Amino acid sequence: MSGVEVGLVMMVVMLALIALRMPIGVAMLLVGMVGYATLNSSGALINLLKTSAYWRFSSYDLSVVPLFLLMGQFATKAGMSKALFRAAYTWLGHRRGGIAMAAVGGCAGFGAICGSSLATAATMAQVALPELRRFNYSGALATGCLAAGGTLGILIPPSVILVIYAILVEANIATMFLAAFIPGVLAALGYVVAIAVYVRINPAAGPAGERTTTAQRLASMVEIWPVLLIFVLVLGGIYGGVFAPTEGAAVGAAGTGLLALTHGRMRLRGIFECVYGAAEASAMIFIILFGAEMFNSFLALTQIPAVTAQLIADLELSAILVLAVILVIYLLLGCVMDSLSMILLTIPIFFPVIATLDFGLPAEDLKIWFGIIALIVVEVGLITPPVGMNVFIINSIARDVPMLETFKGVMPFLLSDIVRVVILVAFPVITLGLVRLIN
Amino acid sequence: MSPAEPTRGGDPVGRVLTWLCTGFAMAGGLILVALTIITVISVVGRKLFSAPIAGDFELVEVGCAVAIFTFLPYCQLKGGNVIVDFFTLRVPASAQRSLDALWSLVYAGIAALVAWRMLFGGIDMYRFGEQTMVLGMPRWWGFVPIVVAVALLAIVALYTAWRTMVPARDPAP
Repeated sequence: MSGVEVGLVMMVVMLALIALRMPIGVAMLLVGMVGYATLNSSGALINLLKTSAYWRFSSYDLSVVPLFLLMGQFATKAGMSKALFRAAYTWLGHRRGGIAMAAVGGCAGFGAICGSSLATAATMAQVALPELRRFNYSGALATGCLAAGGTLGILIPPSVILVIYAILVEANIATMFLAAFIPGVLAALGYVVAIAVYVRINPAAGPAGERTTTAQRLASMVEIWPVLLIFVLVLGGIYGGVFAPTEGAAVGAAGTGLLALTHGRMRLRGIFECVYGAAEASAMIFIILFGAEMFNSFLALTQIPAVTAQLIADLELSAILVLAVILVIYLLLGCVMDSLSMILLTIPIFFPVIATLDFGLPAEDLKIWFGIIALIVVEVGLITPPVGMNVFIINSIARDVPMLETFKGVMPFLLSDIVRVVILVAFPVITLGLVRLIN
Repeated sequence: MSPAEPTRGGDPVGRVLTWLCTGFAMAGGLILVALTIITVISVVGRKLFSAPIAGDFELVEVGCAVAIFTFLPYCQLKGGNVIVDFFTLRVPASAQRSLDALWSLVYAGIAALVAWRMLFGGIDMYRFGEQTMVLGMPRWWGFVPIVVAVALLAIVALYTAWRTMVPARDPAP
């Protein structure tokens, strides 16, 4: 069998194993190892294993991941979610659907110090759900806006998945964060618009809250200064080249940790919980990363990425068509798979394909633009049925709302996501403008 | 999230493994917290007093690697690995358990293989006197906790395979 044939067989085997409940990281490891030993030799595999995991786990770029996860864990204990929600509420609450808008605003704010969608959704739900129910919001809207709002956690930097994408395609992490900023703000605005349209059609679903005074608005802004400070310090420091992303993550972890100790009244028990939380999430991510490393070593031997890219280039398909097909594949995969695994599995094959196509963008810009769009589309998977992790987590908190209601509730936001992806594809300048401006 | 529940193993083996895994994860977590503090001190020192901690990034690299390896057994014990369960939703629960147990066995095998190989990787590092660039830390230091952690992972995966097939009769309250 040729390399390509072995590669294709192994890919099918891997997907079958994943469908049969094998942990994704383990499936990639197993198939990668067997494939590598087949195409190279078992001796080479045995030799590779001596240090490959060590070098993978001790890469300075990747050290950012556990540190950002720790930062996010501390952020959930910082007691800022209530203040963030209140601040958004004072500005938006008096509108129809305003409490839901405030929940989205709170998620956006929380996303600025937390790089995880699940943590953002779960933390904001604790403070926003009681308020949403107090104002008689429909179960669908109340849970839908939080499940969707949670996805802002990953889009608004810092973002763990963006870091991993940047490492995969050898892009600059700081630049990726910068590029994600405007699409992240657009996402929050898009969700607010989705709520406004939804309550116009269905006014009973989201009544207006109480009006607040300018003094209250300003007072609420004062309360969220630590979040602003940490965000500006971490992201400003990374963008400004004051420190490396890994150092920025450490500064952020220290900042949210301090905030949790002082403002959130975190005690020893809380610190332990954060450490265990970060431990489990890091292990989960790194076993997939190690699997992907092994699988990609094998994939490189099969020549599949190069052959696929060549094949697509020979077909002379339109660039936009290929991009559309890739994005649809992401949407479909996202229905059953988590976003990190999707990125790690597909980018080694999809990115070389994208890189050979002509989108009228320089190579560096293309990396950034495609990365942001891919990130948004894989994140949509968090709220699409049948497997939407954000929907599951919100639903486990709002036990009185049936799962089906929540999935109905996320539909307007899904629509908003799709509109945003089309806009970002049509106008790359939205993503790249800030990067060009600063560089 | 809370530490691994000892309920999984009302049995003595489970209790010992839970204790070990939680201990490893806690040790790794403390390393992570320590690295955070060192990095912040180094950044502040560099910016304000032009006095960075030399080679702090090497500590971070190696420290993070050690921390992550120590997290792996804990994650396995808590069943924290990502799976796709969509295609097997209609499969009987007993068959799902058998699959899960089988994959735990596979994982145990892989972990054992990696532990064995990394043991020799560490020995190589020791024999060739590999050091980090700035601090001159011997690389084999990192391999000691890492190999132990991966070996523990193999044992834990064996245990979870067994526990998936034979659930504890009387889980502790």
